[in-house]
Amino acid sequence: MAKGYKGYRYFEAIEKHAGLLGILILVMVSLGGLAEITPIFMEAHAVKPELGVKPYSPLRLAGKDIYVREGCYLCHTQMVRALRAETERYGGYSAATESVYDRPHQWGSKRTGPDLARVGGKYSDEWQRVHLKDPRAVVPESNMPGYPWLSEALVDPDEVQAKMRVLRRLGDPYSDEDIADARAAVAGHTEMEAIVAYLQGLGIDNVPQAEPAPAATGAP
Amino acid sequence: MNGFWSAWIMFLVVLNLGITFFLFLWGPRVRIPVQQDGTTGHVWAHGVLREGLHRLPTWWIVLSGAMFAAAFAYLVLYPGFGSFRGVLGWSQHGEVQQHLDENQQKLSGLMQTIANTGIEQLATEPAVTSYGQRLFIDNCAACHGREGHGNPVLGAPNLVDGDWLYGGDPQTILASILDGRQGTMPPMAGSLDAAGVRNLAHYVLSLSGAPHSPTGAAAGRESFAVCAACHGAEGKGNPALGAPNLTDNTWLYGGDLASIERTIREGRSGVMPGWRSRLPEHDVRAITAWIFAQSHEGAGQP
Repeated sequence: MAKGYKGYRYFEAIEKHAGLLGILILVMVSLGGLAEITPIFMEAHAVKPELGVKPYSPLRLAGKDIYVREGCYLCHTQMVRALRAETERYGGYSAATESVYDRPHQWGSKRTGPDLARVGGKYSDEWQRVHLKDPRAVVPESNMPGYPWLSEALVDPDEVQAKMRVLRRLGDPYSDEDIADARAAVAGHTEMEAIVAYLQGLGIDNVPQAEPAPAATGAP
Repeated sequence: MNGFWSAWIMFLVVLNLGITFFLFLWGPRVRIPVQQDGTTGHVWAHGVLREGLHRLPTWWIVLSGAMFAAAFAYLVLYPGFGSFRGVLGWSQHGEVQQHLDENQQKLSGLMQTIANTGIEQLATEPAVTSYGQRLFIDNCAACHGREGHGNPVLGAPNLVDGDWLYGGDPQTILASILDGRQGTMPPMAGSLDAAGVRNLAHYVLSLSGAPHSPTGAAAGRESFAVCAACHGAEGKGNPALGAPNLTDNTWLYGGDLASIERTIREGRSGVMPGWRSRLPEHDVRAITAWIFAQSHEGAGQP
C-alpha cells in the first residue's frame, strides 16, 4: 500500500475481519446499556423499606402467591405511573419502596383490568369475595374470569412457613417467632380469604403512614 | 444518584459521543486508494462484489450533524448527564405536579362553588352533578351500579328509589360516603330450627303484605320479638341503626322467601367503605349532589 493511506488501513482491517468488526460493534452498543441500565439496576438493589413498612403477614404472603399463581398480573398492573390521568384515577404515583417485599414485583406491563396498586380498602371484603367468584355479579360489563375454586382450597401452613424461611434468607426481616406464629395465622383459612387480605392491604400496608404514631415507633 | 454512578454515566456519555463524533469528523477525511478500475480494490464474494468510491451524501452528513446537535442540546436542557438536572429543571414528578396544578386552577371556580354551596342547591347545577356522576362511576358504581340501582348480591342499596336506610338528607348521605357504614344483622340459625326460620320468614313477608302462609306467619310472630330490637315492633326499621324497614317493598338482599330465610339463618353484613382518605371532601360533596339529584324530582339533570 502506498504511503499517505495510513488511516484507510484501520478501516480495511476492521472491514476484512468479521470477528474484530463484531467485537467493536459489541463495545459500542454496550456503552448505552452500561450507562442506562447498570446504575438503575444497582440502585434498585439498594432500595430500603420505608419506616413503618413491614414484610407481608403470613396470610397476605399466601394471598400474594395466589395472585401470582392465577396470573392476575397478566391483566392488572400494580404501578400508578406519574401521569395526571393515572393519579386522578388511582391515587399517588407508585414508589420503588412500595414493592420492596415483592418477589417478584407485580408492576405488570399491561392493563386489561384496572391498576391495583391502591385498591386496598376501596371495596368491602364481601365485594372482593363476590367479585372473585363471579365478577359479573357486581360488574355486569366485566370480562374478568371467575375464580370460584379459591373459596374451597385451604392455605397450606407448611408452605407458608417454608416461604417465610426462604424470604428471610433473602433478607426479609422475619423473626423465628413470626415464622412459628404463621401456622396459626393461616391454618384453616381459604385461599379466598388469603387473596382478599392481600388485595385489601395494597396501597395501605406497603405505604408508610404520613405521620407514624409516636407510640408505635418508640423512637423520639 | 450517588457520585460514583453519576461519574460512571458521565464517563460513558463522553466516551460514546466522543468516539462517534471523532469518527464523524475523521472518517470522511480519510484518503482512500483508488485502483485503475475506479474501485478501492476491496472485493467480496470472490470478486463478484467490488467496493466503489463515492462521497457520503450531503443529506447524510447534515442529518448526522443534526443528531449530534440534538444530543448535546438534550443533555444541556434535560436530565441525562449523570446527576446534572439540566438547565430547564425538568422532572417527571414535577411535570405531573404541574399538570395537577393546572387542572386544579381550571377547576378552582367549580371547587369553590362546591365547597360553599348547599347540597340541595348543588344538585340543581349540571356542572356539579356531571362532575359528581363521573366520580360516582369511577368509585361507587362497582357496588351501586352505574345508575345507582344497587346490587342485592352485596346488599348495596338502590340510591335512586327515594328509600333510605340511614336517612336521605344531604348531610346524612355525605356522612355515609365520608365515613362509610357497617350494617350487621346477626345470624339466627343458632336459636331457630329450619321450621322456625321459615315461619319467621313468612311473618316478615306478611309485614309488607307480600304473598305468604298465614299459619306460618302466625307461628313466626313470636320469634320476631328478637328482631324488633332493631327493626322495631312493627318492623318499620330504624334509620339510626340502618335497620331496614320490613313493611315496604324495598329489599336489600332480595324479598323472596328463600332470600329472607337465608338472611335470617346466616345473618348479613354489609360494608360501605369510608372515602375520607381516598377522595377530597369537595369530590364527595359533588357525588352527594348527584345522588341527591337522582332521588329528587326536579333537581338538576344527571
